[in-house]
Amino acid sequence: MFKKLAKQNPTFRIALTHLLGKRRQTLVAMLGVTFGIAVFIFQAGLIMGFQTTFIDRTINTTANIRLFNEADKNRRSLVEEFDTAASHWTVVYSQKPKEVEPKIKNASYIIHDIERNPDVAGVSPFLAAQVIFRSGITQKAGHADGVDVRSEDKLFDMKQYMKEGDLLKLETMSNAIILGSGLAADLGAKINDNITVVSQKGVSLSLKVVGIHESGLTEIDKVRAYVKINTAQKLLNTDANYITDINIKLRNIDKAEELAKDFQRKYNCKSEDWKQANANIFGIFKVQNMVTYLVIISILIVSGFGIFNIQMMIIYEKMGDIAILKAIGYKDRDIKKIFLTESIVIGITGGLLGLLLGYIVSVIIGSIPINVNGFISVNHLTFNRDPILFVLAFVFGIIATSIAGYLPARKAAKVDPVDIIRGK
Amino acid sequence: MREQHKNITGKNSGSSSALSDVIIQTKHVDKYFYDPEKFKVLSDINIQLKRAEFCSIMGASGSGKSTLLYLLSTLDTDYEGEIWIDDTNLKTLSKNQLAELRNERIGFVFQFHYLLPEFTVLENVKLPALKLARYSDAEIEQKALEKLDILGLRDQALKRANKLSGGQQQRVAIARALINDPEIIFGDEPTGNLDSKNAQMVTGILKELKQELKQTILVVTHDNNFAASTERIIVFKDGEVVEDKYNS
Ligand SMILES: Nc1ncnc2c1ncn2[C@@H]1O[C@H](COP(=O)(O)OP(=O)(O)OP(=O)(O)O)[C@@H](O)[C@H]1O
Ligand SMILES: [Mg+2]
Repeated sequence: MFKKLAKQNPTFRIALTHLLGKRRQTLVAMLGVTFGIAVFIFQAGLIMGFQTTFIDRTINTTANIRLFNEADKNRRSLVEEFDTAASHWTVVYSQKPKEVEPKIKNASYIIHDIERNPDVAGVSPFLAAQVIFRSGITQKAGHADGVDVRSEDKLFDMKQYMKEGDLLKLETMSNAIILGSGLAADLGAKINDNITVVSQKGVSLSLKVVGIHESGLTEIDKVRAYVKINTAQKLLNTDANYITDINIKLRNIDKAEELAKDFQRKYNCKSEDWKQANANIFGIFKVQNMVTYLVIISILIVSGFGIFNIQMMIIYEKMGDIAILKAIGYKDRDIKKIFLTESIVIGITGGLLGLLLGYIVSVIIGSIPINVNGFISVNHLTFNRDPILFVLAFVFGIIATSIAGYLPARKAAKVDPVDIIRGK
Repeated sequence: MREQHKNITGKNSGSSSALSDVIIQTKHVDKYFYDPEKFKVLSDINIQLKRAEFCSIMGASGSGKSTLLYLLSTLDTDYEGEIWIDDTNLKTLSKNQLAELRNERIGFVFQFHYLLPEFTVLENVKLPALKLARYSDAEIEQKALEKLDILGLRDQALKRANKLSGGQQQRVAIARALINDPEIIFGDEPTGNLDSKNAQMVTGILKELKQELKQTILVVTHDNNFAASTERIIVFKDGEVVEDKYNS
């Protein structure tokens, strides 16, 4: 196909000849593009893969919507309530938030009502107690989350994240607790050990470890334990209706924001969707993405310079060719085409090689077993290998090489043949 | 006279006017260079070249001969006055139209051959025809071989251009200038770089072409013998035509 193109299309033929006349420089420029595209595929795939894993786990372990109540911190003072005249300021210092019990009123009615909403996949009541865990002489601060195991499992697929033990024992046994993996490790606690849990209210309970749970989110696994709701209520010394949170899972998580607002209005409580709850994480993602783009852009700029360089070299060497082509009737745009073709040929071949290289490297690195216990714990790196990513990398590569090749091509098109022919 | 000129429709204008014989005409052409200072290279040039005329230009070095040739061949568009080819004022054409005109109707042989060194002789000769794209590749190849045959280079067709001797290269350049059968051929000291034996050969070929192909040929030369063998000699001095005579 190349041969046929070259035969009928002298500009393509000339372009190829120029490149073949400078094999080494062409190869270097090409490898520059290859490297840029490969890094693109690798880096973007890694970051996106990481973020998807993280979001998956976060979505699996946090509610799409959380309903709760909290103390109203911006309450107007009584003086302000009565003194509404705008003619002067009244300032009340050191106003404390009113002791609003962070209890959800009518929790069982709300749960029942939300369950019937067609957008909702599951609802689970929740009650967290700030506690100190004790095992022998070791102690750790954390929280004991009171849950209804069955609905909690339906929402967060708890079974899948059980490292050891039996989830359902939490329901069947009366004084049971499931520890986060990090917490269990810190306490040195094993299945069937008894540990002591002390709440801020001074209630102390002896609970039996029936399972170890590992969400994969390291920070959470270090502080969280699960107990039955009535165990949590005992710890907080409250009545049997006391619920602080209602966790909701939706059929479509994109509706979270809208529905959160609806529920807040309807049930007269506070709400938070999963994006708000993880706002800081998404902030970190943004920075990560920016760093990735910067790396990719700088590499593409460098490979662009490689192309610019070789093109300028060829043009200076081939001034005579350019002059005679113009003298025998080739137009400015034909000349431009010759040199743009050269850049694009470099871009396409280098780019395709780069896609292949990036893919291979990501497959190799992705298959190496590693144990990272940082932000999230994984046993190998996950790469995003979405075809869109490859298309994007290739398109970026071609755009970068075209831009880099355009300036020299324009310069070549502007060569005045008379100047060159006189000069000889 | 201008009006009359406009009515003539190029080649098939018949013999209704004496002007139909004229293929190139310059009217009060002045040309300046501005570097390093303003300097008049050509001054009030009025030349008419007839169809199928074989004409030589002579004159001292620096008298403006090449400059005029670049203007006539449409490569240089920066001048005052008018240049007409048939019934077209070159000033009315765009850059692209000028390129098309050069491609189709003008052949140029420079002092240096300007062959593309990596291409074969045959490919070099084909270049203007591929641009013109009037014939199929096979036909173009056939024509190119014919031209090379005329110039005694058929057996060199598949050699790379940079493997040929200087004389051979210059003949390839002539074949390239002929490939589209242009009506006008310009030569700027086409034998200037050649030894006398090769120079004689090239001038001989130009004379033969004139006999066979009936093209208009305008050649700048320092060779008195060659000039004497053309039909007409125009002599330049300091940017002006000082003599214009027909050989008998
Ligand atoms: N680009 C330029 N800028 C300024 N002056 C120029 C330029 N090109 C040519 N000249 C001057 O114009 C004059 C005419 O040059 P031209 O090349 O036409 O001479 P010529 O008659 O062809 O000479 P020769 O026989 O040596 O080829 C010379 O004095 C030359 O120095
Ligand atoms: Mg000259």
